[in-house]
Amino acid sequence: MASLIACPHCGPRPKEEFTVRGDAGITRPAPDAGEDAWHAYVYLRDNPRGRHKEHWHHTSGCRRWLVVERDTMTHTIHAVSDASAEGATA
Amino acid sequence: MADFALLHRPALAGAKAGSFGAPSTGARITLTALPEGHVLQVLAARDSDHLQDLIPRIGDGSPHAVRPYGPGQWFVIGDAALSAAEIFGKTPLLDGMASISDQGHGRIRIGISGRAVETVLAKGTAVDLDRASFPVGRSAMTLIGHISALITRTGAESFELLVLRGFAESLWDELIQMSLEFGVDARATQ
Repeated sequence: MASLIACPHCGPRPKEEFTVRGDAGITRPAPDAGEDAWHAYVYLRDNPRGRHKEHWHHTSGCRRWLVVERDTMTHTIHAVSDASAEGATA
Repeated sequence: MADFALLHRPALAGAKAGSFGAPSTGARITLTALPEGHVLQVLAARDSDHLQDLIPRIGDGSPHAVRPYGPGQWFVIGDAALSAAEIFGKTPLLDGMASISDQGHGRIRIGISGRAVETVLAKGTAVDLDRASFPVGRSAMTLIGHISALITRTGAESFELLVLRGFAESLWDELIQMSLEFGVDARATQ
């Protein structure tokens, strides 16, 4: 886990202030997309090695959802942005 | 009619008080339970981040009454207790662009001051409290240990902490612990 996340609103903060939701690249299927699509959306996740975009919630800070791009191998944080800035819902 | 009367008791009325720790280091810490006046949480409607200039309208005009803690989110704080009608009466001042929620029952203010105050708080939070990056009037919502609190610098050597009522006494006890090496005077009565 990365230890310092540069929140775009609060500045650098330790990971303990955040809650990780998971992969930010998943899109919610249509209500009638069928069981397989919904099963995949709810339960199936990749376990990527390297760069990965995730939704993080700054629970103990500004309480905003962020998109954190980090390297799962080196723990480097590449980019942090507010989730609403990309039009993503969280 | 209510079956029993609700009594408002200050959250820190029974907290530890007195002098603790090192006898005299010249950098003593003072902990003060501040008046439980009003705490208003203001949340802006979507895309209303430009409200900073509007928010002071609902404050009492005292310094540091308005404390931002995130985009479109503020706490407005004062020593005077406000009735529900008085709080409701402030809503039109925001022109419908933000809502007000009374948190006076839910959050407690603790004052902490002394020459070593930055060192003491740095034991609990990772926020850079150096005066150059955290000037007077700046606020930050963060964790102090495991307790969530809003830190506000009110002076060169003084800060105010806004903490959930149920955590106030725990934080109070932890602050005393964190201040022991400098000596601490804790004043729980208001």
